[in-house]
Amino acid sequence: MLAALFDSIPAMIVLTGVLVGAAAALPGVFLVLRGNAMLTDAISHSIVFGVIMVWLLTRELSGPVQLIGAGLTGVLTVALTEALTRTGLVKTDAAIGLVFSMLFATGILLIGIFARQVHLHADTILLGEIGFVWMRTTPVLGVAVPVSMVMLGVVLVLNLVFVVLFWKELKLATFDPALAAALGLAPAALHYTLLTLTSVTAVAAFDAVGPVLFIAFVIVPPATALLMTRRLALIVPLAAALSTIACVSGYFLAVHWNVAIGGMMATMTGVLFVMVLSMRALKRQLQHRRPVPGNPAPWP
Amino acid sequence: MPMLVDLLGSQIVRTVMLGAALVGAVSGMVGVFAVLRRQSLLSDTISHAALPGVCLGFLLAGERDLTTIMLVALLTAMAAALSVLAIGRLTPLKTDAQLGIVLSVYFAVGVVLLSHIQAQGGGARAGITTFLFGQAAALSAQDLWVLGGVFAVATLFFVVLWKEIKLATFDPIAAAALGLPVRALELGLTVLLALTIVAGIQLVGVVLMVAVLIAPAVAARQWIGNLGAMTILAMGIGGLVGAGGALLSATGRGLATGPIVVLLASAVVLVSILAAPRRGVVWQALSAQLQRWRISGDRVLLAMDRLAAAHHDPDYPSEKGMLDTMLGRPLPGVMRRLEGQGLVRPVVHDPESSPHWVLTPAGRRRAEALRRTGHGPD
Amino acid sequence: MAGSADLHEPGFALHVEDLTVRYGSSIALWDIDLDVPPGRLVAIVGPNGSGKSTLLKSVMGLLRPVAGHIRIFGEPISRARSRVAYVHQRAEVDWDFPATVLEVVTMGLYRRIGWLRPVRKAHRQAALEALAEVGMEAFATRQIGQLSGGQQQRVFIARALIQQADLVLLDEPLAGVDAVSEDIILSLLRSLRDRGKSVVVVHHDLSTVRRRFDWMVLLNRRLIAQGEMRDVYTPANLKAAYGGQMAVFDAADADDPARSGRVGGQV
Ligand SMILES: Nc1ncnc2c1ncn2[C@@H]1O[C@H](COP(=O)(O)OP(=O)(O)OP(=O)(O)O)[C@@H](O)[C@H]1O
Ligand SMILES: [Mg+2]
Repeated sequence: MLAALFDSIPAMIVLTGVLVGAAAALPGVFLVLRGNAMLTDAISHSIVFGVIMVWLLTRELSGPVQLIGAGLTGVLTVALTEALTRTGLVKTDAAIGLVFSMLFATGILLIGIFARQVHLHADTILLGEIGFVWMRTTPVLGVAVPVSMVMLGVVLVLNLVFVVLFWKELKLATFDPALAAALGLAPAALHYTLLTLTSVTAVAAFDAVGPVLFIAFVIVPPATALLMTRRLALIVPLAAALSTIACVSGYFLAVHWNVAIGGMMATMTGVLFVMVLSMRALKRQLQHRRPVPGNPAPWP
Repeated sequence: MPMLVDLLGSQIVRTVMLGAALVGAVSGMVGVFAVLRRQSLLSDTISHAALPGVCLGFLLAGERDLTTIMLVALLTAMAAALSVLAIGRLTPLKTDAQLGIVLSVYFAVGVVLLSHIQAQGGGARAGITTFLFGQAAALSAQDLWVLGGVFAVATLFFVVLWKEIKLATFDPIAAAALGLPVRALELGLTVLLALTIVAGIQLVGVVLMVAVLIAPAVAARQWIGNLGAMTILAMGIGGLVGAGGALLSATGRGLATGPIVVLLASAVVLVSILAAPRRGVVWQALSAQLQRWRISGDRVLLAMDRLAAAHHDPDYPSEKGMLDTMLGRPLPGVMRRLEGQGLVRPVVHDPESSPHWVLTPAGRRRAEALRRTGHGPD
Repeated sequence: MAGSADLHEPGFALHVEDLTVRYGSSIALWDIDLDVPPGRLVAIVGPNGSGKSTLLKSVMGLLRPVAGHIRIFGEPISRARSRVAYVHQRAEVDWDFPATVLEVVTMGLYRRIGWLRPVRKAHRQAALEALAEVGMEAFATRQIGQLSGGQQQRVFIARALIQQADLVLLDEPLAGVDAVSEDIILSLLRSLRDRGKSVVVVHHDLSTVRRRFDWMVLLNRRLIAQGEMRDVYTPANLKAAYGGQMAVFDAADADDPARSGRVGGQV
């Protein structure tokens, strides 16, 4: 029965998407809450540099070395950004933009130079090929499972363990880093771990959705969930559920219109966001109308 | 080298270089304000959001027609900027999340449209993916007019509204209090930002456009503290980096232009941050080191002065180990510096073999001055 | 109501009537009526969040009130901009911005210089004179970030001076300012008043307000009291504004009549 599941290509594709969504939502919730969401943008672009460097050193395009390489690249990105900011010569937002662009550009150039050997094309690197993830498999307990799914499964477990183990510390470090530091809870270490896990997740999701669409899975479902509830414990499963809905609906729409599956899945996370946003705005409008009419908005 | 010279003689290469220089210069100019207004990540968002516009423009025109593509891309880029504003108004989400949502979702829509265009097949589709990473070679002589137009519009905008833009960027509250239409100026700057991005993406690509905008500005700021001069320097850096990148990309086996331009620009930033006078990291480190030397030198003088006073002997020879203990190890080279400045003099103090020093008259005067101003050794 | 050309309450430097300001659903100012005669040094006092900054921003037309109107020498802000200068709360600008001290002061003239016209030598000369008034002319060519907090504040005050306004509004100009700068700023404000200008200052320090200002507006979302300092600085009024927070009184006030109020209210 399990083998039958892994034989079904649509099931494979949707399941990969769901795994990306669930694995990304775990760190995503905290990044969005902390106001660090754009570090995902930086990290996931830099990953391209990490992937090609690891390939140059080991000739491996997946597996544990790539995960480790991704972790290191993530840390490198954040450390470089912070070093640049700490000189006081560059503001944080510009530092982020400079560092990831530099790493990404280096990665793309290296891919261009080694294109014939690496069997990677810059366009596929950027966009991912979730429709083809089922083609590369590895046996797990006698069943041929796509490599991407195995990597994503491992990363999902990693993220889950981290978030469950350090739940209350993450909560405090997100809400009040100063207090967390005062209590000796090492918010900086937690923060770095969170970003490392984000990078590791990015590289696992790489084949499937590429770096930019990955950002959608990290940020959009958690942000949507945040608009629906203020209970932290509910946000994570809610975000995973939203991702799942986006993946399933995105898959069928993509097949229907014959367009990119990963792109459609990411688009659907946006559609869900807009739906939730509109419902919220409508509700507020109705509530607001009753007590005081008029336009209170300050205008500068 | 001869190859480069050959290339420079080619009409196509000259066109491409001129186009890239125009894009670089206008990016430098507009980027100064994007950086000062802390809109680096907004710029990244806007440029990613140009992708669906590029695809729509392509679908509308049915071919790679730069003017149509740019117009439609400008529309989606502005729509993205407005979406960021709207999310900010309607939700409690932080700026980062607003940008991340808009960037990734607009880009996703672009990916969907891109795949749609590619599924249609035909020769035209080949041109479209170059908008991801940029391909300067795709530039035609007609496109130069468009890019030149953007450059002219941006220059005119800044020349005409220079002081108003300066004030609205530096201190928007004061600008509003003076009655300047800050909102309209900000809108104008954002439209110009989107226009610049849209003009640049076919050379640099949507993913790396942000670096071309911000790198020249960041580099220029390190050298110059005057807004006008900084803007002109940023334009120069952008223009050179753009032209250089286009030339290199034309020589190098079809390498995409965007990454090359970005690496050149990053190198300029790196050099500026390290080497710029006064602000630069190297300069700062050197002056901090000088400072440390001066302070530890002063501490040595005061300690020797105190020892002399305690022994009622102005020529009391202070021993190295004693000074080290009193001061907790002076930096290496301090005594030599003091000797060089004529403030201390080495003496032999029989029968001990360890180094000893006495204060010279100049050293005593300095120690006394230090004592008066109250900078004790502790 | 009066036609657009008519003056409404021209005898007051500042006239505020029925002013109510809201941020979203929270009310920052409620039904404020205020009259500031010309030639006074006015302190606006109230606890944190009492709407002091909001009041100044409303006067400058930076916020749109829900109700009420504001007149400056009888005119709405749109027609009185050239007669009023405003120094906002500090640290709201990018101190690394590539601008010199002189440039920042010149910015106060941008409205008078007008659109499409460049800054000329005469303008820079005027800026230098304004800088001299705050004792900062030696710093004219410094980048704006390379100053102490008090010096930065003096530069912004110079930017207000250069506008030669008849009404000057300052939001906490003395917060976080060293003693030297404080003296310079205060004597400057006094000399403005002595020249017949009206100066309205948001002030945080109850212990010094009595000695430094001659007119007081007590605010806590509503208007608590306004008028001559001696009439308004009473235990009852302060208590009404600050409620249980009376500890804000300073020992420096030991010889003040207000002390009895503190003792009665607190001990
Ligand atoms: N932009 C804003 N959006 C929402 N609420 C605001 C905004 N600005 C001020 N407020 C609220 O309006 C009230 C009045 O604020 P205001 O800044 O005028 O107070 P203040 O008297 O100047 O305080 P402080 O002494 O701290 O400067 C406060 O409760 C504040 O939280
Ligand atoms: Mg205030």
